[in-house]
Amino acid sequence: MRQDWNLLALCDRFFDAIEQKDFPTLEQCYAPEAMVWHSHDCLYQPRDANLATLRDGMTRLKKMRFKNRRVHTFEGGFVQQHTLFVTHPNDFVGQMDVCFVAFVRDGMISRAYEYFDTGQMDRFLGPRAGAA
Amino acid sequence: MSMTDGEIRELCNRFFDAYQDRRVDELADIYSSDCVVWHNVFGGREMSGKDNLAALPASYEGQRRRTYDDRIINTFEGGFVIQYTLHGVQHSGHKGALWICIVGLCSNGRITRIDEYMDSGRFPAWRGAGPAARENAS
Repeated sequence: MRQDWNLLALCDRFFDAIEQKDFPTLEQCYAPEAMVWHSHDCLYQPRDANLATLRDGMTRLKKMRFKNRRVHTFEGGFVQQHTLFVTHPNDFVGQMDVCFVAFVRDGMISRAYEYFDTGQMDRFLGPRAGAA
Repeated sequence: MSMTDGEIRELCNRFFDAYQDRRVDELADIYSSDCVVWHNVFGGREMSGKDNLAALPASYEGQRRRTYDDRIINTFEGGFVIQYTLHGVQHSGHKGALWICIVGLCSNGRITRIDEYMDSGRFPAWRGAGPAARENAS
């Protein structure tokens, strides 16, 4: 039986934790074997490396907001489409459209696939950072 | 009318088979009359299904062959999410690939909305041009 509410709750908990810079909750959303694949390099990033990337973003960026969240659950997972808005230390607000597909085991994200466009890094990082 | 998981999955495969075989007439039958297509690239604008179909013949001219492989399809109430690899053979013989995800909404046996996510940073390698392509080939 599809556990839609549990999947929806996990999805919200995961993205809310990033927004709220709640690292312990974020960590609990990932299964021990969690891997995250990204469309820009087609590589699976291990759990610890992905958490380190997220922790760095949560520490360095002033704000991270996942807006226009559209979530659908399917058997064993969910897909969320959103626009990520980040406020950089220099106050530039970057944005990026993202599609996040997650496969869930025992209430935790076991595997995730993240699709976004690196051709619009200026829009996300700011013109100067994008040119670097 | 709501669709079963099986009907949605079949519609999704029918859509990609038609896209692969360049059957624009079949695609026109699959899109609802009010279908909207959105891409995260090309300025992130929405276009009508009709305009999307009109642009296809020119789009197909870019490659000798395209195949939509490694399809991972999951269905939800009223739609699907598909992750796949688009393999293309350019007229130069260069083989490229793009990794794409589409969220599709369906109703009454037709697709009513498509949101497509890809990485335009990989377009040079797809086309066989630029440093990214050389990196891919090595």
